[in-house]
Amino acid sequence: METLQYTLRKLITGLPLLFGVTLISFALMVYFGPDLTYELVGKNPTQEQIERVQSELGYDQNFLVRYLDYVREIVTLDFGQSFSTGEPVADLLARTVPVSLALTLPGFILGNLLGILLAQIAAWNRSGWLDKLIMGGAVVGMSISFLVVIIAAQVIFSSSYGLNWFPVRGWSVYSLADYLYHVAVPTLALVFVSLGYNTRFYRAVFVEEMSRDHIRTARAYGTPPIPLMLRDVLKNSLIPIITRIMFSIPMIIVSGSLLIESYFGIPGVGKATFDAITTGDQPVLKAVVSLTAVLFVLVLIINDILYKWVDPRVSLK
Amino acid sequence: MNSTRPHILFSGLAVIAMVLAGCSDPASRGDPDQKVYRHSMDGSATSVDPVQASTVYANFMVNNAYDTLYRYKYLERPYALTPNLARDMPEISDDGLTYTFRLRPGVHYVDDEAFPDGQGREVVASDLVFSLMRHFDPEQLSQGAWLWQGRIEGLNDWGEEAAEARDAGEQPDYDAEIPGLQALDDHTLQIRLTRPYPQLTYTLAQGFSALVPPEAVDHHGRRGLQRHAVGSGPFQLVSFTPQRAVFVANEDFRDDPVDLEYEGYDEEVHGEFGLEAIDGRSPPFIDRLEIDQIEETSARWNSFTAGNEIQYSTVPAEQAESVLTSTDPVEVDARYADDYFWRASPEAGFVYMNFNLDDPAIGYHEDPDQDRANHALRCAIRKAFDWESRNDRFYQGLGDVYPGVIPPMVDGFNPDFPDDSIRRDMDAARALLEEHGWTEDNLPEIQYGAVSSVTDRQMFEQFRGWLEELGFPGDKVRMRTFANFGDLNRAIRQGQIMSFNIGWGLDFPDAENTLQLYYGPNEAPGSNSANMKNDEFDRLYDESAVMQPGPDRNEIYNRMNEIIVDECANISALTRTRIEMWHQDLIMQPDREILGGFFVRFVDLIDDGQGGEPE
Repeated sequence: METLQYTLRKLITGLPLLFGVTLISFALMVYFGPDLTYELVGKNPTQEQIERVQSELGYDQNFLVRYLDYVREIVTLDFGQSFSTGEPVADLLARTVPVSLALTLPGFILGNLLGILLAQIAAWNRSGWLDKLIMGGAVVGMSISFLVVIIAAQVIFSSSYGLNWFPVRGWSVYSLADYLYHVAVPTLALVFVSLGYNTRFYRAVFVEEMSRDHIRTARAYGTPPIPLMLRDVLKNSLIPIITRIMFSIPMIIVSGSLLIESYFGIPGVGKATFDAITTGDQPVLKAVVSLTAVLFVLVLIINDILYKWVDPRVSLK
Repeated sequence: MNSTRPHILFSGLAVIAMVLAGCSDPASRGDPDQKVYRHSMDGSATSVDPVQASTVYANFMVNNAYDTLYRYKYLERPYALTPNLARDMPEISDDGLTYTFRLRPGVHYVDDEAFPDGQGREVVASDLVFSLMRHFDPEQLSQGAWLWQGRIEGLNDWGEEAAEARDAGEQPDYDAEIPGLQALDDHTLQIRLTRPYPQLTYTLAQGFSALVPPEAVDHHGRRGLQRHAVGSGPFQLVSFTPQRAVFVANEDFRDDPVDLEYEGYDEEVHGEFGLEAIDGRSPPFIDRLEIDQIEETSARWNSFTAGNEIQYSTVPAEQAESVLTSTDPVEVDARYADDYFWRASPEAGFVYMNFNLDDPAIGYHEDPDQDRANHALRCAIRKAFDWESRNDRFYQGLGDVYPGVIPPMVDGFNPDFPDDSIRRDMDAARALLEEHGWTEDNLPEIQYGAVSSVTDRQMFEQFRGWLEELGFPGDKVRMRTFANFGDLNRAIRQGQIMSFNIGWGLDFPDAENTLQLYYGPNEAPGSNSANMKNDEFDRLYDESAVMQPGPDRNEIYNRMNEIIVDECANISALTRTRIEMWHQDLIMQPDREILGGFFVRFVDLIDDGQGGEPE
């Protein structure tokens, strides 16, 4: 009951956040986004034809009317059709979001699990050579551009210049084997890049936890390293870990990974969003922005509930 | 520990559910025994609707799914028209105003739910009437109406009525009779022009003129036709996204055996490509066509060279150094020449730089002295422009530089046209500035508009370097960047930029298509983005626009080209050379241009008995 009340309360207090995000993003779209008019008119248009297109795109209406229309779309969950391709926005999201999820989830999970594992090893061996080796590797991973990692991974694993084991492009997934075949190299690239950031962050969390009295006491009792790191250190460090993971989820769901999707020719929502930004496809952008905002509100709520789950001292009141 | 097991199980199931949800549509899967051609394009089409076939990418999609009355011959260059859906070339009245077209009987649209019984009906002449009318219905957001604007008797009037109907919330009357656009019977169409329009037949080879059945528009709507095609072309669209399009062969495509000699086959030029194998057979020869739209050059090249993915690619600029061993003549390194077929061909178009003559700082001025000084300033900048260096740095030295705006591949090109407008002459440039009183202090700030990209920035810096040599202080040459081409295009169309680089792809192989870029009435927001207004040019344009091809018209074209050069309205032109490569199991000669987009119907694969291994 307490959780339900808390959830409802948070949902209501999330409305101003939703309002603020949609208002600011819509203002950016309207005043700074691309104008599609001249893409849609022919080579020698008359003024009347230009005005027709502007009217079709809704450019001739004032900001308030357009924003209220946006609010109506959010409430009815009907964002219309993409200006560029004519595809209903709901269909576009239903087609691309699962692909992005299937693409990024393995990298996200592996990146976090491996990050936690390496961070635990580094924290246990703090200032030792193993710690320095892991952290050195993390800095290298963080320092290399994601684009370079993608191109290098493609050349090494997918091209005739390298091993040529995996596809360069495409998403023809009809079985688990197809899935693994297509997701392997993108996952490697994602893990390579995220591992550095995750390991550094988690190590800092674990090092701080290990300096606490209860860990010193456990070590004094002679608790072996693995139970100590998993039961005492990891469990008590879960709050910042949950926060980091939870706040990544909206981006994983909605943004996908633009570069991965572009370079591997994967029809995910990241590429669709990028195309919408560069072409000024407002129906798609409006849907993605509002979906992201709603997800953040939900994540905030779930995050707090998880806090209480891992630490019963936390109150939801 | 037991309590965590359900969570782990749940998480595992959730992941599997995500993966399943991300699976491809089973309907899009190919048969492993099929012949599959995997094509790639270096940009994206966003629509397959003929009324929006304005880009080379969209036109390519339309050409494969729909039919046009005419097409260009497969191999003949310069491009030559040939009947496609039309039975023969049009009958043209002596006054050049009435065109009669005869359509092939027995051609059917692909089966589609738009038709009452789901079966594609016969293509009839009234479908072309409807398809051209669509361009004048404001609801359809046509990008191709300009081709027939004011040209066909009564069509513009109908467009006005359609607009009024739309404003009143009603449907336009597509059954209305248009005097200049009539289906005389199911297979005969007559077009009556308001004035002679020798390029009319060319326009009927463009994707814009593809025949769309009214049932498809009624059933799928304009938005639906952006990603769904109901045509009678050689292929049927299965799925379309801005990243990938999949077609299958139209099994009911008309019987139309290839006459290779008629198509322009030349043993010396095409002999090595194995094209004899298609002679006498009816296209299409492949079962499935997959088109990957890949803007990222490294990904496209890796996919092409992987061996089992895309089978065709243009060579990206950054690969040119490793692929080519010579640029004059073009020679390909043996590592590539042994594995792939290749072809170096000029683009059907050119790149150039325009000055905005509506900008009083560099263009026309009400004060005659200042007007002359501005003219001298433009000419001096043009003399400082180093085409050779531009070609070497950015086009691998493969470009063809020529004066004016009539490219070598069109009738009307004059190889003897004086070339001083493309030769760099810094002394003459400085003398011009001095003669007209330009000094470091009074030179205007030159604003250069471009998209925010590395290549555009590099081109700007090269340009700024030349102007500094000419005497411009570096801070007087500024780049105004735009986030994307759409924004740059808007600024150009609104006449807000002083100078800019731009490209033009030929809609048809006639110099009229490039000379109209400087025709006064086409000023911004039209395609005359230089906003040139020259009475003699406009008069000659009007005169030549109604003339049939021939020496007299070429003479006028030549004079118009001279006027553009004399006005120093631009710095032009360079036609890029593209290196196209394709796998050796393909029997084809590809063509990336708008005019060449019909080639896929002629593509065949060497039958190794193993099928095409579709993804």
